[in-house]
Amino acid sequence: MSPVADSRKQVLERIRAATTASPRRDSGATEGKAAETRDYVRQGQMTASARCERFIERLREYDADVMECAPDGLAAAIATQLRASGGRTFVAPAGLPAEWRAPGFEWKIDNHLDVRDVEHADGVVTACFCGVADSGTIVLHHGPAEGRRVISLLPDWHLCVVRASQVVETLPEYFERCTTEDWVSGAGDRGRTGLPRLVTWIAGPSATADIEMTRIKGVHGPRFLNIILVRDEE
Amino acid sequence: MSAAADQPILDPALAPPFPAAALPVLRNVQLRKNVAHAIDVIQAKRARLVAEKTDWQELRSAASRIKDEALQKLGVHLEQFEERCTAAGGHVHWAADAAEARRIVLELLREADAGEVIKIKTMTSAEIQLNPFLEAAGVRTYETDLAEIILQLGQGEPSHIVVPALHVNRSQVREIFARTMGIENLSDEPKALTAAARNYLRQKFLSVPAAISGANFLVAETGSVVVVESEGNGRMCLTLPKTMITLAGIEKIVPRFQDLEVMLQLLARSATGERMSPYTSFWTGVTPGDGPQKFHVVLLDNGRSSILARKTERQTLRCIRCAACMNACPVYRQTGGHAYGSVYPGPIGAILTPQLQHLRHAQSLPYASSLCGACYEVCPVKINIPEILIDLRAKVTDRERRTVGKFFDPMYVGLRAANVIFSRARLFHAAQWMGRIGLRFFTRRDGWIHSLPGVGAKWTQTRDLRGLPKQTFHEWWAQRGSATSKEVR
Repeated sequence: MSPVADSRKQVLERIRAATTASPRRDSGATEGKAAETRDYVRQGQMTASARCERFIERLREYDADVMECAPDGLAAAIATQLRASGGRTFVAPAGLPAEWRAPGFEWKIDNHLDVRDVEHADGVVTACFCGVADSGTIVLHHGPAEGRRVISLLPDWHLCVVRASQVVETLPEYFERCTTEDWVSGAGDRGRTGLPRLVTWIAGPSATADIEMTRIKGVHGPRFLNIILVRDEE
Repeated sequence: MSAAADQPILDPALAPPFPAAALPVLRNVQLRKNVAHAIDVIQAKRARLVAEKTDWQELRSAASRIKDEALQKLGVHLEQFEERCTAAGGHVHWAADAAEARRIVLELLREADAGEVIKIKTMTSAEIQLNPFLEAAGVRTYETDLAEIILQLGQGEPSHIVVPALHVNRSQVREIFARTMGIENLSDEPKALTAAARNYLRQKFLSVPAAISGANFLVAETGSVVVVESEGNGRMCLTLPKTMITLAGIEKIVPRFQDLEVMLQLLARSATGERMSPYTSFWTGVTPGDGPQKFHVVLLDNGRSSILARKTERQTLRCIRCAACMNACPVYRQTGGHAYGSVYPGPIGAILTPQLQHLRHAQSLPYASSLCGACYEVCPVKINIPEILIDLRAKVTDRERRTVGKFFDPMYVGLRAANVIFSRARLFHAAQWMGRIGLRFFTRRDGWIHSLPGVGAKWTQTRDLRGLPKQTFHEWWAQRGSATSKEVR
């Protein structure tokens, strides 16, 4: 019909011609090989506590602030961090546990908050899907306790709660969790492929090194990334 | 004195050949200093983080296998991507060339009633020269990556694919920002300059109705797009506008979601010397209540399928645009990116640009290399760049020597003569004898030839030539008595 539809056909035909002429005669032989030969490090070898230490060390190396607490000290730890931030108004995802919303602060619960409201908040508190020790990364799948993408982006201060049991050592272990883990209730939307549809990995606060390679913290995303690591490991 | 002063031309069809374009840069001490500094910093960071990965080589091999697999069945993977993305509420468009991609993007923006558009850094958009086209059509474009803002406001051109403004230093940035943003008393501290960019864009992020991004990866299995960035400008563009348009080369595809566990371990370490970039975003079509509710992907061919058809060159399409090759390249280190006359500079640009141009332009680029192999060694997807450079040199030469005017070119006459002489022993010996007599005239007492006339000057302009020895190997061999040959045994 339109020239656009013709282009689809044209591009696919060019590709087909280029790939069926089979410049590499091994075509077919290597079929699926990439999947079979994954001989890089997939499973970590660390103990749970060593894993946590590495996670903390690498988060700090990228300017994240990390605080540890025992499982029963979480609410108090959150309150401490909120106070230390100097802010008053905080955004909470709709599914954030009620006991995490420390008293004494103004909470805006994200039931389709207007972006201007989010923008004017002093900070945001979220949970996460998982933490990756090897790269010092926290992973959001934007489930009810992690919230829409925009709420962990516009406020200048982000507090993320990570449980030690959520921390994996290697990146491949995270991908493993995406397919096998029985996801905690409603943690993010899974597509019909069973894989997450919406994912944000965060490794430290927003940064740039575009001017003379000098690393500057805080460009457009939050300038402050705070992690509370709940030591619930065995 | 601003970055725009020397006006580099990055359209391969118009740019001068590499040696000519490199000359002004080589005389620009400030620019070379800026480039060398930036590269030294990235190189040091990268080296440290690569060394800490015990499985780096296995990851590289896995990545090259993944990309090869993706390319072998590229059509199947693209159709799968299209199907999954569409099922998730996205729209997929196909563009055979740059002009068509530009037209599609403009139509989509008109549909979205967008007179302004915010952009995440995308080299693909620079490749198709999207911004000038949109501006001419009345759509105001706002680059949001700090380096891209510096270039857009300063009317400069990118000289690197990851850190496009690495040739500009802080005082130049200060001058550009103070002038274009109208800020008095702006300091040249990177912190103050970054804050200025944040303020400049904040309201744009909240009000502009449409955004354009590139893609680091497209996932066939899920129909997802992946974008890696540092500043949060990408996340702003991905979440705030109503319409999102992603422009991606067809080679950006990986077959499976799990393949990203390899690619994303390699990318940031290779590109910026970080374990992971601050922000990595994946999204799939449209998510109700979160982010743009209209999402389009424009799949761009623009010469890529012709690269796919060639045996040696196909590996060019494995590239994940990390820029490790240009950071490692001794030539790039001296010239910076502008000399390459393309938005893709450095070793990858030297092989990608001429191929995207079907070798009609940028024929000098395959020669802009010493073939030292440093690019191959650092490439996270193991593209054998030197091999492709040599292959392209052969293609350029083959094409050139068949052009009519080149038949009497002294170099080709010489090469044809050599072809005859080297294949006949008697002619060869005669030529040696004549050469020794002829060159004796030019050979100095130290045994070297420092300058030659005519075509020979092409060699001696930049290096000396060893004079021919008094005796050839054959003569020496024939002279040896039988006694000496026993000794050897």
